[in-house]
Amino acid sequence: MQFTRTLSGKDFHEMFLVATEWLEKSVADVNALNVFPVPDGDTGTNMLLTMHSALDEVKDPSAATVAEVAKTMSRGALMGARGNSGVILSQIIAGLSRSLEEVETCDGRCIAKAFEQASITAYKGISNPVEGTILTVIKDVAKAAKAKSLNGTSDIVSIMEEAVTAASESVANTPALLKVLREAGVVDAGGQGLCIILDGALRYLKGEADAMQFRKPQIIPSKVPLTPHSITTPESICDDEVPFGYCTNLLLKGQSLDVEKITTKLKKRGESLVVVGDDKTIRIHVHTLDPGWVIGYLTTLGTLDNVHIQNMDEQHEDFIEMQKEKAPAGGISMVAVVAGDGFAEVFSSLGVSFIVPGGQTMNPSTKDIFQAVEKCAAENIIILPNNKNIILAAEQVKKLTEKNIHVVPSKTMPQGIAALLAFDYDADFDTNHKLMSEAINSVATIEITQAVRSTQVNGLDIQKKQYISILDGQIISADDSLQNSLNQAFEQIDISAAEVVTVYYGESEDGAGAESVSASITGKYPHLQAEIIKGGQRHYNYILSLE
Amino acid sequence: MVKIVTDSTSDITRDLALSLGITVVPLTVFFGKQSFLDRVEMSTDEFYERLVEDVFPTTTQPSPGVFAEVYNQLAEETSEIVVIVISGKLSGTYQSAVSATSMVKKKGVKIEVIDSRSTAMGLGLLAINAAQKAKTGAKLEEVASSVRTNINRCHPYVYFETLKYLAKGGRVGKAQGLVGSLLSIKPIVTLDDGEVSPAARVRSKKAGLDHLYNFAAQYSGNIEAIAVEHATTPDDANTLVERLAEIFPKDKIIRSTMSPVLGTYMGPNVVGVFILEGEKTT
Repeated sequence: MQFTRTLSGKDFHEMFLVATEWLEKSVADVNALNVFPVPDGDTGTNMLLTMHSALDEVKDPSAATVAEVAKTMSRGALMGARGNSGVILSQIIAGLSRSLEEVETCDGRCIAKAFEQASITAYKGISNPVEGTILTVIKDVAKAAKAKSLNGTSDIVSIMEEAVTAASESVANTPALLKVLREAGVVDAGGQGLCIILDGALRYLKGEADAMQFRKPQIIPSKVPLTPHSITTPESICDDEVPFGYCTNLLLKGQSLDVEKITTKLKKRGESLVVVGDDKTIRIHVHTLDPGWVIGYLTTLGTLDNVHIQNMDEQHEDFIEMQKEKAPAGGISMVAVVAGDGFAEVFSSLGVSFIVPGGQTMNPSTKDIFQAVEKCAAENIIILPNNKNIILAAEQVKKLTEKNIHVVPSKTMPQGIAALLAFDYDADFDTNHKLMSEAINSVATIEITQAVRSTQVNGLDIQKKQYISILDGQIISADDSLQNSLNQAFEQIDISAAEVVTVYYGESEDGAGAESVSASITGKYPHLQAEIIKGGQRHYNYILSLE
Repeated sequence: MVKIVTDSTSDITRDLALSLGITVVPLTVFFGKQSFLDRVEMSTDEFYERLVEDVFPTTTQPSPGVFAEVYNQLAEETSEIVVIVISGKLSGTYQSAVSATSMVKKKGVKIEVIDSRSTAMGLGLLAINAAQKAKTGAKLEEVASSVRTNINRCHPYVYFETLKYLAKGGRVGKAQGLVGSLLSIKPIVTLDDGEVSPAARVRSKKAGLDHLYNFAAQYSGNIEAIAVEHATTPDDANTLVERLAEIFPKDKIIRSTMSPVLGTYMGPNVVGVFILEGEKTT
């Protein structure tokens, strides 16, 4: 049944619940709208988790006003904001909340006004707003809704219809505004995500919530002619990432057990999988979000013994407790977002008090970083995001904590390490922030990964599975050979000024492979002093730093 | 005239000690059971020849008896002695020097023992400066008070290739955070109130030497004395001296080598710069 009345706080909450479910259905598609064919901060996932955090904060909307619900959602979104698009989404919700501050029940006119404030707040929250992104979409939405409302209507459905139409057109137009989108042949993922949320909200208002169960949002095609290498089959990127979950350990006993088959089956369900044994007894260790499924599956094969399931989030808490003591001099503690256990050890050994696990595909939320900050002994905290997608979320922590925060805008882990090395034990908080921020430019970072799809970037043809070299965030080369791709990246750097090359090898590689990469470099540039470290990072075969 | 006594970690060379009339009391370094008097029975070069992989020598302070002997000898020619020794946080030398004061036989000899809160040429520059002051005819109180003022103006800054030896010797102090890093990092270390303290971290020797130069250059225009020391790499130290000539007369830069006792904690390849700041207040 279509809404003809105004929204209560409960309706408002429900509208966003339905809209978020709508978004959830297309998370993989939104994630696939990545500009770079590398495993990147997944926009869809980030927006979804931000919405969940916003909605979960609302405990009991049954008797609440719109103002109360919006305010609570705004706080939840701010805490849970992940990735750049999540942070902007949280600003949009903050803007809605600000505009609805005094509103008990809201009609179309209120919504139109709220969109306008949302647009203003979102633009203000970003230091250098870029057009052709989610920002443009919310701006266009606000404009359309305002125009409709000034036309004399206060009907919420007709105003939302205008908003959604404007959002779709705006999303389709994003490649016209942003060159990288045009080249990659995609529309902006954040804008697309927002459009789906608004579309979901509209469907709720039209009384279609039940029918939505059997349908799926449409990804908007670009209205700008794309380069020939447009997306073929979008695939979900790295959706197997499990942040923590449960550490599950057990012994499986049975007859003619098949180690290989069990390995294949469990691989899809978790991380850090170990399956060892023979056809009668097998020891299994896996980190999974769903231990129930694992147990259920294994009981069909034999009997279980020594079952241990441990909540790793708690283990992580313990780990964090242990880190509490480690604070560098001068009342300054450092928090770093790090991917890979090897890198975590390096950062830890350089005096970082808290490691927030994260990185490319699992951007930590503002809350994750905030919690680490709160646990630090010191009052002055320096945050190293080590990823361009996390810098904004780190900046948001300033709004949540009483502590003094400086964010060193490190975009790669080697930059973070260079910043740490520049830490001056005698200098004060502000001076250290300055020294560390300057130091990130003293290092060049080369990241080597494999393309997850074929595309074109910077006029470079990239085939799926090819090795891509990324120099300080710019894709330099794509080649079937890792070595060739790396060599091309090296040609872009002034090697004569460099002294030390550090090769961090990822989870997929081993020390021997790293040795040969290192040898190929020192063979060509004998003045370089090489060092090989296990980084343990996912998705990136190698990360190299030159300084 | 006031006589100046210091210990062998001051790295004051024999010639310089002779010309300034400074008495240097040696500490002792042990390789296993074999003992060598620092800078007397073993030179820096001989020490590093023996310091091979996984050999960790040990050291010991001079006994009060050794200091007493020195005091008694000097008491023959003076009644005022100023003793400046290695930081009490690094060595027990100060204790020995103090205990020995009660063993002086001759009456009326005034002895003032000062903890330099430094070592190597940090201590060396203090002793040299005190000796020069004594030569002008200053009395004990005057010399001692000038040493005390100079302690806060004395800045050691040493590039280490590794903190392995410092950690093994239990002298790592506040630089604990620099130990056990997975990356090969070259620490730069200073002394903070007599205790080893981290100053910076670099990834290469060249960057380390740049740091040493920049550290010295910040005092440019207000430098009383500079010393440069090496352990096994004279070329690095010489290059640094060439650069320092831009901010201080090259022929006045004091050159020395780390004593075997210091080498025990510093390991090979260290290079240090030591500044005695002038009296201008900033």
